[in-house]
Amino acid sequence: MTQIVEGDRRLAIEEAAARVITDPANSRVAARLLAEEIAEEAAGHGVRTFAESVAATHAAGLVQDALAAFVAANAAELDALIADEADERFEYFGLRTVYDRYLLRHPDTRAVLERPQHFFLRVACGLSTTVAEAAELYALMSTLSYLPSSPTLFNSGSRRPQLSSCFLLDSPRDELEAIYDRYGQVARLSKYAGGIGISWTRVRSRGSLIKGTNGHSNGIVPWLRTLDSSVAAVNQGGRRKGAACVYLETWHADIEEFLELRDNTGEDARRTHNLNLANWVPDEFMRRVEADEPWSLFDPKQVPDLTDLYGEAFTRAYRAYEADGRFVRQIPARTLYGRMMRTLAQTGNGWMTFKDAANRTSNQTARPENVIHLSNLCTEILEVTSDAETAVCNLGSINLAAHLRAGDGIDWDRLRATVRTAVRFLDVTIDLGFYPTPEAAAANGRWRPIGLGVMGLADVFFTLRLPFDSPQALALSTRIAEEIALAAYDTSADLAAERGRHPSYDDTRAAGGVLHPDHYGAAGSPRWDAVRAKVAAHGLRNSLMLAIAPTATIASIAGCYECIEPQVSNVFKRETLSGEFLQVNRYLVADLQARGQWTQRVRDDLKRADGSVQHVPGIPEDLKALYRTAWELPQKALIDLAAARQPYIDQSQSLNLFMAEPTIGKLSSMYAYAWKSGLKTTYYLRSRPATRIAQTTVQRVAPDVCSLENPETCEACQ
Amino acid sequence: MLLDPGMDLTLRPMRYPDFYERYRAAIRNTWTVEEVDLHTDLADLARMTAQERHLINRLVAFFATGDSIVANNLVLNLYQHVNAPEARLYLSRQLYEEAVHVQFYLTLLDTYLPDPEERVKAFAAVDHIPSIRDKAEFCFRWIDSINGIDRLESPGERRLFLLNLICFAACIEGLFFYGAFAYVYWFRSRGLLSGLATGTNWVFRDESMHMEFAFSVVDTVRAEEPELFDDELSAQVTRMIEEAVEAELAFARDLCGDGMPGMSVEQMRSYLQYVADQRLARLGMPARYGAANPFAFMELQDVQELANFFERRVSAYQVAVEGNVSFDETF
Repeated sequence: MTQIVEGDRRLAIEEAAARVITDPANSRVAARLLAEEIAEEAAGHGVRTFAESVAATHAAGLVQDALAAFVAANAAELDALIADEADERFEYFGLRTVYDRYLLRHPDTRAVLERPQHFFLRVACGLSTTVAEAAELYALMSTLSYLPSSPTLFNSGSRRPQLSSCFLLDSPRDELEAIYDRYGQVARLSKYAGGIGISWTRVRSRGSLIKGTNGHSNGIVPWLRTLDSSVAAVNQGGRRKGAACVYLETWHADIEEFLELRDNTGEDARRTHNLNLANWVPDEFMRRVEADEPWSLFDPKQVPDLTDLYGEAFTRAYRAYEADGRFVRQIPARTLYGRMMRTLAQTGNGWMTFKDAANRTSNQTARPENVIHLSNLCTEILEVTSDAETAVCNLGSINLAAHLRAGDGIDWDRLRATVRTAVRFLDVTIDLGFYPTPEAAAANGRWRPIGLGVMGLADVFFTLRLPFDSPQALALSTRIAEEIALAAYDTSADLAAERGRHPSYDDTRAAGGVLHPDHYGAAGSPRWDAVRAKVAAHGLRNSLMLAIAPTATIASIAGCYECIEPQVSNVFKRETLSGEFLQVNRYLVADLQARGQWTQRVRDDLKRADGSVQHVPGIPEDLKALYRTAWELPQKALIDLAAARQPYIDQSQSLNLFMAEPTIGKLSSMYAYAWKSGLKTTYYLRSRPATRIAQTTVQRVAPDVCSLENPETCEACQ
Repeated sequence: MLLDPGMDLTLRPMRYPDFYERYRAAIRNTWTVEEVDLHTDLADLARMTAQERHLINRLVAFFATGDSIVANNLVLNLYQHVNAPEARLYLSRQLYEEAVHVQFYLTLLDTYLPDPEERVKAFAAVDHIPSIRDKAEFCFRWIDSINGIDRLESPGERRLFLLNLICFAACIEGLFFYGAFAYVYWFRSRGLLSGLATGTNWVFRDESMHMEFAFSVVDTVRAEEPELFDDELSAQVTRMIEEAVEAELAFARDLCGDGMPGMSVEQMRSYLQYVADQRLARLGMPARYGAANPFAFMELQDVQELANFFERRVSAYQVAVEGNVSFDETF
C-alpha cells in the first residue's frame, strides 16, 4: 500500500472517530480501519502469526526466554487459537488504547510487533504452563469477558514481569533514615507501574521537639513535598508519571495543613500538586462530629501506639491520652469535618476512608498485631502493613456486560466459570510476579491476596432497563456480588487443597471459621454453609479475594462502563495521552434511533445540556429515568448499592460520588450516611466546573435565550 | 443606563445581578499556572516535523502578546465606560485572568524555547513577524478608536464604544483566540502537546466567559438603548469581522504553508468563517459566510471531559464552597 493511501486511511479513521456521535456504528468502522493499519504495521516487521510475533518480540529483547521457548514448542497449536475476527468486538477507543499503550513495539522503529489478539494470547501464555491453560484465559480475554489489570497486561511474559497494580506502604518510622528509605521504596515500586498508597501517620507533627538537634520539627508537609517531587520524577515505562496517595489519620496534629496540600492557592512551598490525599478516619471522630464534641489532635511522637489500634482499643487509648492532656490542641470535631468536606469540594481529593470499618471485618486482622493502616491509590484495597511488609494486590475485572444472556439477564453459570478462571490466574500472578522491594515480596508471599472486581454494571442496567435507583437494580447488583464471592471463595479453597493454603492462614479470621459476609449476617444460605465447610477442610489459598477497582483503562479496552459506576454523561469526551475521544451512550442512541429520534436537533440539545436528556424535548419519561447521569441520580442510591454489596467484597470498592454543585451541608450529610451505612472507603468527590468552554459546533437556539450554559442564572432549568 | 458616563459606586440595589453572578462563577474556577504540567510536551516537540515546529513556534509567539493586548484594552477602555460596580467587579476578575494567561504563555515560551536568543525573538514577534504584527495592529486600531473619548455622551460615541467592545469579544477573543485554540486541539487530537492543551482548556474556558460577558453587556445596552443598533452599526460590525477573518487567514497562511494532513489554510478559512457567523448570530446579525465547521476535532471541545485519573489532572473542581455541617440534607 502506498504512502498516500495510508495517509488517507489515517484521516478516514479520525473522521469516523469524530463522527461517533452521529452514529455510534462509526466507532466500529474506525476500529476496523485501525485493525488493518495495525496488521500492516506488524507485517512490516514480518509479523503475521502469533508465533512470529513472539519470535519478533523475543529477538527485540522484550519477552522472556521461557515464554519464547514455550511458544516455539507449541507454535501450531497456539497459532490455531488466534481468533482474528475477535478484533471486531473492539470499539475504536478500546482498540486505540491497546494500540497506543499495550502492544509491544520495536525498540528502534517503534513499530508494533504484535496484533491485538497476539497481545492477548501473549499475556495468557505468560501466565500459563500448558496450551490448555493459555487457551482458557485467552478465550476470556478475546471475548472481552475478563481482563487482568494493566500491569499484568503490560508486563506478562516480559523480562521484568511486575504484575501487581497496588502497593500499600506503612508510614515511615519517625526518623530521618526511615523516611529516606521510604522514598527509595516508593520510587522502585513506582518505576514498574505500581500505584502507591502510603501512610504518613507515624511522622511527628509540626513543633515537635527533635532531641538530636534541640530544634523543632517542621511537621509532615516538607516531607510530603519531597515525596511529591520524587513521585513526579519517576516515569513509568512510557509517558505516565508515578502516582501516589498519602493517608493521614484524623488525629494527627498536622491534619489541617494536610488538607490544604492540593489547594491551588496559597504558598506553593506548602503544596503538593501530584499527590493524592486520603483521610483515614476512626469511628470516634465521626461520633464526635455527630455529637458536636471537641476533637483532640496529637503528635504521634507522644502517642506512638494510636495508629496500631482500632475499634474499642483505639477509643480507650485515645480517650486516655486526651484525659492525660497529651494533645497538641483541640478543635470542634465539626469544624475539622467541615474542612474535610471543603477540601473534597475544592479538589476532589481528601478521600474519606474509614479505619474501623476497614479493620473490623478484614480477614487479615484476627491478631491484634495485624492492623490495616491505609488503603491504596484507588481506595479499593485494604490489607495489613508493617515496617517489614508492603501490601501488594494483583487485580482483574470481569466485564458483566459480556455475561448477559440475550434478553433475560445474567448468565450465572458463565459468570461463575469466569470467576473460577480469573481466581486461578490471579493466584498464579502472585508467584510469577517480579517484586521491586523485599518488603513487597514478603507480604505477598505470606498473605497471597487478590482483588477480583467487575466492570460494566451500568451496561447491565441499561440492557435490562433498570434505573440505578430501582429496587431491582439493588437486588441484581447484590446478587452479582454474592455469586462472585461464593465462586471465588470456593475456588480459593480448591486451590488450597491443590497447591496449599497461604502461609499466614492461621492468622486469619477464616481459620477461626468466620468468613467476610458473616460479619454482616449475610452468609446464611446453604451455599455459604457448603463453602464454609470446604474452607474448614482445606483452608484458603488467598487471604482476600474481592475488590472493585476503578478499571479506567481496561473498561475502555472492553468498551464498557467503568466498574460499578453510573454513566457520567450520555455524551462525553475522554482525554488521554493519545488524544481526545468522543463517547456517546450507544444504548440511548439505539433507543432513539429505533424511534427515529436521533436527529441533529436532539444531538445538539444533548450537547448543549452537557449530555443530559432531562430537558431534551420529545424524550419519553421512561428513557429519561433510565438515562439519568451520575449527576442526576440520588447519591444515596449509589451508597445503598455499595453498602448492599459490601458483605461480599472482602476488601473495598473505588466508589466515586458525584455532586454538581457541592455545599458543605450536602457533603457532610452524604459522607455521614456513607459511614453509617458501613462503607469501608469512598473515592473521589466529582464536581463540575463552575464555568465552561463556549461551544463551537452547536448552533445557538436563539440569541438572548438563557441556555443551559449558565444554569445558575437560568430559572427555566431549575 | 449602563453606558452613562460616571463612576457609580453603589452595589445595592443591584442593577445587573447577572454581572455579579458571572463574577462569582469566574472565581469558582480559579486555576494556576503551576497546575499545568508541560513535561511531556518537550518530548513531543522533539518528534515533530520542521513544518509542525514552525507552526507551533509562530503560534506561541502570537500567544506571547495576545492576552496583554486584551488586558490593555480592558484597562484603557472597558473599565472606564461600563458604568456599574458589579460589572467592574467582573472586569477586575477578567483582568486577573488575563494576567494568569500572560503568565501561562510566559512559562510556556520559557519552557518551549530554551535558547535565550530564540526566546527573545519570539517575545518580539509582534514587532517583526508580519502575520502577528498585522493582527496586533488591527487590535491597536480599535483600542485607539476610542482612546481619546473620556465620556460617552453622544450616540456616536456610544456606537464607537460598542464597536470596540464587539471587536475584542467577537474578533479578538472570539476569533483570533479561537483560531489559535484550533491549532492546539489539532495537535491534541493527534496525541501531541497535552500540556499546552490542558492550559489551553482552562484559558479557553476563561475566554469563553469573557466573550459571553461582553455579549451580555451588548445585550444590556441593546435593551436600554435599542436605537444605537442601526443598520450602519451592523454593517460596521460585519466589515470589522471580515477584516479580522482576513488577518487571521494571513496568519494561517504563515502557519500552515502548503498544509498538513488535517490542517490546511482552506480548512482554517471555512472554520474561521463558521466561527465568524456564530459571532454574528450571537449579536443578532445575519450570517455573512454560511460556512460549515471542517474540524471534527473541535466537536470534542463541546463535550464534557472525563479525565482519566492516572493521566491528567482533573480541572473541574470548584474554588468557593458554601454552607455548614449538617446531617439531614438530601444528596
